[in-house]
Amino acid sequence: MAVEFKDYYETLGVPRAATEAEIKKAFRKLARKYHPDVAKDKKTAEEKFKEINEANEVLSDPEKRKRYDEMGANWQNPGYPQPPSGARGRRRQDGPPGQEFNFGGSTGFSDFFEQFFSGGTSRSYGFPPGAEGVDAGQFGRASGPRRGSDIEGDILVTLDEAMKGAMRDLSLQTTDPVTGKQEVNTFTVRIPPGASDGRRIRVPAKGAPGTGGGEVGDLFLRIRLAAHPDFRARESDLYHDLDLAPWEAVLGAQVVVPSLDGPIKVRIPAGTENGHQLRVRGRGLPKGKTGERGDIYVVVNVQIPTEVDAEERVLWEKLGEVSKFKPRQSP
Amino acid sequence: MNAPEFGDAGASAPDRADAPGFYAIEAVAQITQTPRHLIAVYCRHGLISTVQHPEEGGWVFDDEAIHKLRRIEFLRATYGLSLAAVRVISGLLRDVEELRQEVRFLRRH
Repeated sequence: MAVEFKDYYETLGVPRAATEAEIKKAFRKLARKYHPDVAKDKKTAEEKFKEINEANEVLSDPEKRKRYDEMGANWQNPGYPQPPSGARGRRRQDGPPGQEFNFGGSTGFSDFFEQFFSGGTSRSYGFPPGAEGVDAGQFGRASGPRRGSDIEGDILVTLDEAMKGAMRDLSLQTTDPVTGKQEVNTFTVRIPPGASDGRRIRVPAKGAPGTGGGEVGDLFLRIRLAAHPDFRARESDLYHDLDLAPWEAVLGAQVVVPSLDGPIKVRIPAGTENGHQLRVRGRGLPKGKTGERGDIYVVVNVQIPTEVDAEERVLWEKLGEVSKFKPRQSP
Repeated sequence: MNAPEFGDAGASAPDRADAPGFYAIEAVAQITQTPRHLIAVYCRHGLISTVQHPEEGGWVFDDEAIHKLRRIEFLRATYGLSLAAVRVISGLLRDVEELRQEVRFLRRH
């Protein structure tokens, strides 16, 4: 199936020689602008947000970026290695050879990304022939109906969707390798509150068709949490990087930090060191079945002014003279 | 698929069959065509786990357990691996996945 090449550098508005820091900065700026929660035109913003996330997913990963750069304009040349038919991205399956599955962008990732960058090492595990009605360990030795293979795919989920849960409409297009006939199967998938990165959601009977009267396989969707301009997620905990002025870290301060359900006031104790983590209990993502919530960790990032005017310089010099603080041991 | 579902896979889902859910051991056995006693063995060896400790929440599994169970059965059936070998491979796959998650997290710093 023909896919469209994506210029991820253009999407993020950075040159091809951009550093990691420049890519990160460009992503955060655009993600803040197009985040579905803040944009006025939510539909357009959502599409743009997905594109930005996808570009960031590739360009922020040195290995994927290298592959993408090598691919460049040659990606459609006959000599360029293409993903094998019927095994695109993570949608590998053990079904009839060559059968092709395509989500048509409904998972939040473009076909281009799914074909070239979504693949991990894992694969799907359909039952081998004759698996129906036989004991474990007997697979492959019996004859009879064959259960269809499972299909795997990634689904992009925003932190807000992971927070509240969401319903997502997916389209799975199947192409028959012999006749070329295409079928589109549309269905709704529920993203449960607390869906964490890497967790799989099983959609029963949306996999490859069985043979000889065998059951249809399942679809397994792996949650991929979209990068957020303010938070990084680890399981049900969220991490927020908080920039502080040196005097705020030394003297203490009260600051307002964002959370997924409204701003929170946080007291920064005097003498807070760079990298210190302050925990706000119970304001992270839901933990799933229990209804409990994870925590938010505010990670202190002390910023140093790189330019000082004459008045500031005098004050810093004065501080340097009177301060008893010695960051290094005397020789 | 008639698997009974628990917890949040209930009434709020417009299509129960499409809702990610929780499954009793009987449902897991039916879905994966794996005998109950074998599921219990896999649990005892740490190859799959229940949502909560069985003494607290019963023998309830999630979608991730179904996926792992399919992988275990696939490795045993296709490559004739012993339980010990499956344990080693499953452990390695889990470590790789956890490391990947950590790398993704750190890259977003």
